[in-house]
Amino acid sequence: MREENRYLTGKSIVNRQGIRTELCFLPLLIFLPFAVSIILLWSWYYRGFSMGCSDYDGELMLALIILIGNIVFDIPFVKSLVRSIHRK
Amino acid sequence: MDSIKFEVHWYRRVFHTFGSSFLVYYIIPDTGWSGILKRLIPTLIILFVSILEYLRITGKISSNYFFGLRVYEEKRVGSYLFFGVAVFILLLFFPQQIAVPCILCACFTDPIMGETRQRYGGKNACIAGFFVSMFFFIATWYRADIWIRLLVSIVGGTSAVIGEAKKNRWIDDDFMVQILPAVFILILWRMIGLTGLEMLPSPMIHPI
Repeated sequence: MREENRYLTGKSIVNRQGIRTELCFLPLLIFLPFAVSIILLWSWYYRGFSMGCSDYDGELMLALIILIGNIVFDIPFVKSLVRSIHRK
Repeated sequence: MDSIKFEVHWYRRVFHTFGSSFLVYYIIPDTGWSGILKRLIPTLIILFVSILEYLRITGKISSNYFFGLRVYEEKRVGSYLFFGVAVFILLLFFPQQIAVPCILCACFTDPIMGETRQRYGGKNACIAGFFVSMFFFIATWYRADIWIRLLVSIVGGTSAVIGEAKKNRWIDDDFMVQILPAVFILILWRMIGLTGLEMLPSPMIHPI
């Protein structure tokens, strides 16, 4: 019965139970990196920039790397997810 | 079916970029309860995932519950555990200055190389991976002297690409892309340290 649910696409295994797991993780996968970059931005602004201290500039750089890097990959992921939901 | 195939591919990419969230570790204070918890929680997560993976491989939990698992991972340890173990080792046993760019390499260089390989071939993927990794080392070591920054970025970039490109049945590229540059830079740091020079810049992330 399970084998009927399961099929191979390219090199990955896809099945209904797995899709449920994916949907459970979805909010975490998308929002946690943004939360971390916001914490880093907050830390840079309040402890560094507003105090005139350059020690925290690295946190700004990391926040931007995390933010931009995640946006670049989240957009096609969310698009593909929306597409697959509409096709069902 | 095509739509789901596409989704799996991007899901794996997003799982990589999500890994950058683990850098929150360095924001948590080292003292008191938070200091204990920041070491205890990653250990428990790795233990839990290892047990889960053991149960999956031995067939006690169906692989069907693991979305996006590769076909060759069905009978061996999944790449997500390799990724987690490497992050765990870097966070707990390496200096922050070495761990941060190596984790960034796994989070962003790996998916960028994957995308470039699919569109423009393996050679271009290695070139793109090298420059992206170099950028992470240059950006995170911005406080170091220019010659150290160049040396570290070349060593880090090269070893990250080798780590990503060379994978085998027993060690996944998600592990190698992080650990290989970290080990090379650690050796470099120790060797330069013997001459009396301090290579490591000050840490980038300060605990709250």
